Amino acid sequence: MRLVVRTCLLLSRPPPDHPTLAPRHGNITRPTPGTGITLHFKDHKGNLIKTIKANEGDDILSLAHEWDIDLEGACDGSIACSTCHIILPPEHYDQLPEPSDDENDMLDLAFGLTDTSRLGCQVHVTKDMDGTEIRLPSATRNMFVDGKKPTHH
Amino acid sequence: MPPLPAKLAIVGGGPSAFYVASRLLSLVPHANPSLRVHLFDSLWAPHGLVRYGVAPDHPEVKNCTSKFDQAAADPRFRFFGNVHVGSASPTSISHAHPLPLSSLLQNYTHVLFANGCTLPILHPAIPPSPRCIPALSLVHWYTRHPSNPPPPALDKITHLTLIGNGNVSLDVARMLLTPPSALKKYDVPEHVLDVLSRSALQHVSIIGRRGPLEAAFANKELREMMHLPDASMLPLDSPLLTFPEGTTLSRQQRRTMELLHKGSQSRFGTTQKTWSLDFYRMPTALTPCPPSAETTKLTLAHTVLDPSTGRAILTDQTSTLSTSLVVTSLGFHVDPTTVFFDPSSGHLRARGGRILSESGIPLKNMYASGWTANGAKGVLATTMMDAYAVADTILSDIVSHGAANAETTPGGEYGSEAVPDTLIPNLAPHPEDPPEEIQQGIMDGLVTQYHDWNLVDSEEVRRGALLGKERERMCWEDARNFLSLSRHHGR
Repeated sequence: MRLVVRTCLLLSRPPPDHPTLAPRHGNITRPTPGTGITLHFKDHKGNLIKTIKANEGDDILSLAHEWDIDLEGACDGSIACSTCHIILPPEHYDQLPEPSDDENDMLDLAFGLTDTSRLGCQVHVTKDMDGTEIRLPSATRNMFVDGKKPTHH
Repeated sequence: MPPLPAKLAIVGGGPSAFYVASRLLSLVPHANPSLRVHLFDSLWAPHGLVRYGVAPDHPEVKNCTSKFDQAAADPRFRFFGNVHVGSASPTSISHAHPLPLSSLLQNYTHVLFANGCTLPILHPAIPPSPRCIPALSLVHWYTRHPSNPPPPALDKITHLTLIGNGNVSLDVARMLLTPPSALKKYDVPEHVLDVLSRSALQHVSIIGRRGPLEAAFANKELREMMHLPDASMLPLDSPLLTFPEGTTLSRQQRRTMELLHKGSQSRFGTTQKTWSLDFYRMPTALTPCPPSAETTKLTLAHTVLDPSTGRAILTDQTSTLSTSLVVTSLGFHVDPTTVFFDPSSGHLRARGGRILSESGIPLKNMYASGWTANGAKGVLATTMMDAYAVADTILSDIVSHGAANAETTPGGEYGSEAVPDTLIPNLAPHPEDPPEEIQQGIMDGLVTQYHDWNLVDSEEVRRGALLGKERERMCWEDARNFLSLSRHHGR
């Protein structure tokens, strides 16, 4: 097999044919095609990683896992690390409930902190968020060796 | 021409090592190029500071091990614990199985150093003594680290002084000031709980040579101190809480100041135990005293901040503190006996994830990540991002150069400097096997593998459940006996 190196922004797999067959991570069920709240994930430079559909109430970390977007949750959403740091547009940041002291303590240590930073595990999708751009400051360009789907770790 | 197989040795088995391994294994498909990742940990149990550094009352931080377990389940991954890589250098772990670096280089195409900063930075004015120990000894005591330090004589200690106010310092203070009844559900060994339950400790002084704005602790750890159920903080003098007009505080500093203003949840004097943050103080001497004396005198020089350099400078004022034990918590450095150690930085000579020769030339197929490359700083997210960047560097070498290229450029392609053959990994080692010393160590029951750890892990959790706690840790002797019995019973 000829070795091809591809630089790619996302580690994707094809979406399931039917939502009921969707694999579940963090209790996420993908919306029926044609419905759901649209979210655009972007890297720190603003390049689009992936556009996804969410249900109201889903948290951003679980959504990222469900859609194979490179957002880590080292502490499994227990507000003990800053690996799921995301940046929201100001208008959507302002609509959310204030972060807790615990979340702010972790954000203090986040890489590339901004005034509209949150932990992805603490942000739950609302209808108002339709079309929101979510930036991932820690996303790097993933190079992988082409030909096989990358495995999950 | 397809690249030759890549066989990576990672020295170290902590978060940096596992994040690099995890990233590589997830980005490289199983078939081509062929990849093997072997971890060598000087401790018999994996996960480094996650097991032997994270405070027991922070169990959520340890959730990252589920990702490490996933990486370890990959058939291309192997873990070899209780292995000391290096020449016959001194190690605090007497039972560690030696593996010369030359043997590692003969058996691998790529070598990554991810073995952390294992030694405490000491204070020049107050060297270790029966009255002065590094915080690392206490951390190793309450995590049952294989270095096996003696327990502190908490039944005789009434006043304890911590030098340094980073998170390790606050972890130690919190462990000593939290009621043992609140700790017993966590991963705290029974013998540690016993000592804590006999504690005579009344006060912990936390000394910092600069002020509140320069304090090294994070707000999470400070907030936890403020919320201790049975310990209260000596309120700070108001001059410490005010700043010259025009001082701009960062978000983190602003939140720190809010916490310091508010003070502890329990009012000072209403609790049995107390603690204080003593800013602008620098230890200069510890008066020797007979072992029977309850306390000894610690001399502290008073300091001010030099506004131009941001450093602490001495004033001519001093004071003394009567204290039972001084605990220094001033950071960590790499073991100086490690190859590629740079005395000026306290960590390895490395840049952009690559090991450098003495004249600063990157060495072919030799890498460093995590604290051993960058020094002991940053949180788990920092380590993870660094590890992913280093994994990408390794991967780009594997796929773009391939080991094959190196054959035509002996000494590396990075410069004309001759790199000693002894520092170049082998281009075509055995594709699968670890070094012979390791195979022998496994047969002798001296080298642990990840399936051994999985057995120990489950057993520790099972033993903990019987005691109503998260886990009850094994020491090496326990683990060795347990594993030998498991093998005997074919488990």
